[in-house]
Amino acid sequence: MPAQDRAVAARAGRQNLTKCEAQHVSGQPSSLAAAPLREPDPRGAAVIETTALTKRYPGPVTALDGLTVTVEPGITGLVGANGAGKSTLIKILLGLLPPTSGQAKVLGGDCVRDGERIRGLTGYMPEHDCLPPDVAATEFVTHLGRMSGLPPTAAKERAAESLRHVGLYEERYRQIGTYSTGMKQRVKLAQALVGDPRLLLLDEPTVGLDPAGRTSMLELIARIGAEFGISIVVASHLLGEIERICDHLVAIEGGRLLRADTITSMTQVSQVLLIEVDEGSDLLLAELARRGLEPRPYQRAVLVRLDGDETYDAVRDAVADLGLPLNRLEQRRRRVEELFRDEEGGRDDPAPGSQTPEASHVG
Amino acid sequence: MSAIELRGVSRWYGNVVAVNDVTMTIGPGVTGLLGPNGAGKSTVLHLIAGFLAPSRGELTVGGVPSWRNPDIYRTVGLVPERDSVYAFLTGAEFVSTTAKLHRLADPAGATRRAIAIVDMADAQDRRISTYSKGMRQRIKVAAALVHDPQVLLLDEPFNGMDPRQRLHMMDLLTRLGAEGRTILLSSHILEEVEQLADTIQVIVSGRLAASGDFRAIRRLMTSRPHVFLVRSSDDRGLGSALIGRQAVTGVELTGGGLQVRACDFGAFSRELAGLARDKDIRLRELLPEDEDLESVFAYLLES
Amino acid sequence: MSVSRGSTGAPPVPAGAEPGVIHDIGYRRYTGRRLGRAQIIRALYWHSLRSAYGLGRGAKAKIVPVLAFAIMCLPAIVNAVSMSQGGGRIVDYDTYTNQLRVVVMIIFIAAQAPELVSRDLRSHVLPLYFCRPLRRLDYPVAKLAAFITACLVIIEIPLLLLYLGTVAQVHSGSAVWDQTRALIPGLLVGLMWSVLLAAIGLALASLTGRRAYATGSIAIYFFLTWILAGILIAVTQRNVVRTVNVKPPPGAPLPPGVPAGGTVQAHVVTQVPTTATHLVGLVSPFTTLDGVRQWLGGTSVGPVPGVAGYGALYGAMLLVLLAVSLAGLAARYRKAGSL
Repeated sequence: MPAQDRAVAARAGRQNLTKCEAQHVSGQPSSLAAAPLREPDPRGAAVIETTALTKRYPGPVTALDGLTVTVEPGITGLVGANGAGKSTLIKILLGLLPPTSGQAKVLGGDCVRDGERIRGLTGYMPEHDCLPPDVAATEFVTHLGRMSGLPPTAAKERAAESLRHVGLYEERYRQIGTYSTGMKQRVKLAQALVGDPRLLLLDEPTVGLDPAGRTSMLELIARIGAEFGISIVVASHLLGEIERICDHLVAIEGGRLLRADTITSMTQVSQVLLIEVDEGSDLLLAELARRGLEPRPYQRAVLVRLDGDETYDAVRDAVADLGLPLNRLEQRRRRVEELFRDEEGGRDDPAPGSQTPEASHVG
Repeated sequence: MSAIELRGVSRWYGNVVAVNDVTMTIGPGVTGLLGPNGAGKSTVLHLIAGFLAPSRGELTVGGVPSWRNPDIYRTVGLVPERDSVYAFLTGAEFVSTTAKLHRLADPAGATRRAIAIVDMADAQDRRISTYSKGMRQRIKVAAALVHDPQVLLLDEPFNGMDPRQRLHMMDLLTRLGAEGRTILLSSHILEEVEQLADTIQVIVSGRLAASGDFRAIRRLMTSRPHVFLVRSSDDRGLGSALIGRQAVTGVELTGGGLQVRACDFGAFSRELAGLARDKDIRLRELLPEDEDLESVFAYLLES
Repeated sequence: MSVSRGSTGAPPVPAGAEPGVIHDIGYRRYTGRRLGRAQIIRALYWHSLRSAYGLGRGAKAKIVPVLAFAIMCLPAIVNAVSMSQGGGRIVDYDTYTNQLRVVVMIIFIAAQAPELVSRDLRSHVLPLYFCRPLRRLDYPVAKLAAFITACLVIIEIPLLLLYLGTVAQVHSGSAVWDQTRALIPGLLVGLMWSVLLAAIGLALASLTGRRAYATGSIAIYFFLTWILAGILIAVTQRNVVRTVNVKPPPGAPLPPGVPAGGTVQAHVVTQVPTTATHLVGLVSPFTTLDGVRQWLGGTSVGPVPGVAGYGALYGAMLLVLLAVSLAGLAARYRKAGSL
């Protein structure tokens, strides 16, 4: 089954896992003395909140234009932003760039005032190459652990653990210059994890990876989001992988929010049933029409409107009567990419609970 | 014809055999060139584009060898993976320079059309150094299309493009393929290749591992049982009925439904509906779990 | 979670067998101490200081620093040996074989400044620093402090060796005190050298990620200006001719017309510094440092033949060079640190 469908099936299972594992893992909050930043509550407080966030550069280039969005705990896909918008947003969220106007909060702290604390609680995995070739992975990740504020022994231990969690074993003692692309991406992820972040910002984590590498990276990210109790924002252009591992989606276009919603509601089933037979589609069309189902052809398959459970039985009987080889039977789902196919940006009929520029409130 | 033909083509660099005895024909329509990193896909593209000579074997494009044959570039457009644009030129200048290099009769018109096709008319007078990665890719495609080539070679063309740009490009390639052009697309993003390409060529460690329609390739893997997920009104009952059939080698009750392994895919798919009806079980969903391009590709790498 | 004998759903363990345990080695949160910005900077400082001496980087990286240090110590050792054989002190504290020190420092800085900054620029690793609880300028501050320390080691330890070698040969308390009093200005001069040269070296190295270009530009800048200063000092001096009456040595042939025991007129040519000579030292950081040394009262002979009234200019030049280097570093890392 296409990976997307597998993921939709797994997502339900994962939501439950997230809740109970998160409670197991977050038993002891980390002791940041007098930290006004709270731990992300798996049951609902926002991880990132922006309010009319605007950033203009001399140019005149407007990277962000009144962006208002809330990012919930879990794994969120960040999609659609052009290069300037995405990197500007990340810099503002990390407190490295002040916005022209508007406000941004990460883990409850204001990005302008509490930038340093936010950076201490966030892990960032850049898109571009950022690894020195002549250092071993253990040494590199340990050093960055020190740079995150870990004492020497803790840095060594957490570096070793992070490298284990991302799946680097004996390789970690070799120099990074000898690594494949997939291994280098894992080192980047390990350095983001070493400081025990509450939020991970992953910028195009699968770029340059071949299909096997992409699958294992996506599985790793899904596992981190589900089992480690860390909220993740994945910036990606690949809607397929976002459908696969993310719970939520934030789509930005032209510096503004295009849509923010759960993946579940963006991949809702419709009341259309798809039937695919390996041969005899025309016979099937005729038989279904005879039974009053008003079928229509679609690529290799046939679509009928789902009018209750009787439709399933009618289809089953039609296929059985004709002795046709049944290859696929499923309710059609909406796809995230429909958001981008629609010229107006798919803004008509958003699901209830989703955020669009009109639906969300300012302040 | 504008077919690309390779016969026994090998290419080596000293001891490294990048391409090993590859024989394939690429015809009109969109063909996907797939393989793990380092398998030799880029080498194959460069061989076809005439940048490299085969160490052995014959390679022709439209009946003519591409090596040392600049005329070939009248019919071939190449969109390479690496950044190969002059950043100090504007988008329009870059495309029109390419048009002039091709000695087109109407370079300005061709430039305008090519830029319109990739939807870059708004940004064409800005320097390429100000472009985002996705915009650079689009201008590269425009430059490759400006001379209206019959053959188009693309190496990871969607790299850096946002979803809207990707969908737009995919529609473009589908249209060009439907017009009868020969399009060879090398990509790691299998879900996109699945939508675009009618046929695939899979290269593993320099050798051609499989060609054709990936569904047909899957059917050829008879030693691997097909895996299906079934949801019905009585999964357990259906499962016990199915395990009694010759075509089925295994059933498993999972959280998501009934997973069925069928060694005889054809017999299973014919028998399922009738069996369900006989047992008065409602079939709600039947999903093949390993017939997509990603699974087929993974199986090819395993063997 | 642990699975042990008799838990629900698990099959019973055979009698006499040890209960089994599955340890939880999943992700663990970090609940320990987190260090503040000051300690992170200190960690970066130590890390950079180690890489200035090639520690933790394999044998090849240690060659230049260790050799430089060894060569720099030679004069102190030679001096100790000569003093133990009854000779006087041959090396001053405040100049300490100036030529040698210049050459060694050029080589050390040109080789090691790129280790500290160019490598990070080349591998584009800076965003990984700046996404951490660190401020933009903390990075260059730590690097500079580390490099100054590295230069201090190479400059001051030989001075201390010189002092110890001398003091070991001297036997009276007041002589020891004299030596100590002479050492202190020497150490201060060494400090000036370290601060200025480290700043210039790092600023130049931070302009490029290519090690070779960084080393080259540092070496060229220091060498060219040094040689230029030397040339200019020599050519701007004036020849002053004096006529003196000289008694020829006994037994030497007398020129015609000179009675025995009489005197002969001789022309003596002396090189005398002009105003220009006093000023051209500003061209090179090394002669600038020497000029400041003399302005502050250093009496040993150095490459600059006296600063006359222009000592303040040398002081100003030192500050200007330092300020430009620091500003350059700050500007570079404000820009380069963008994600």
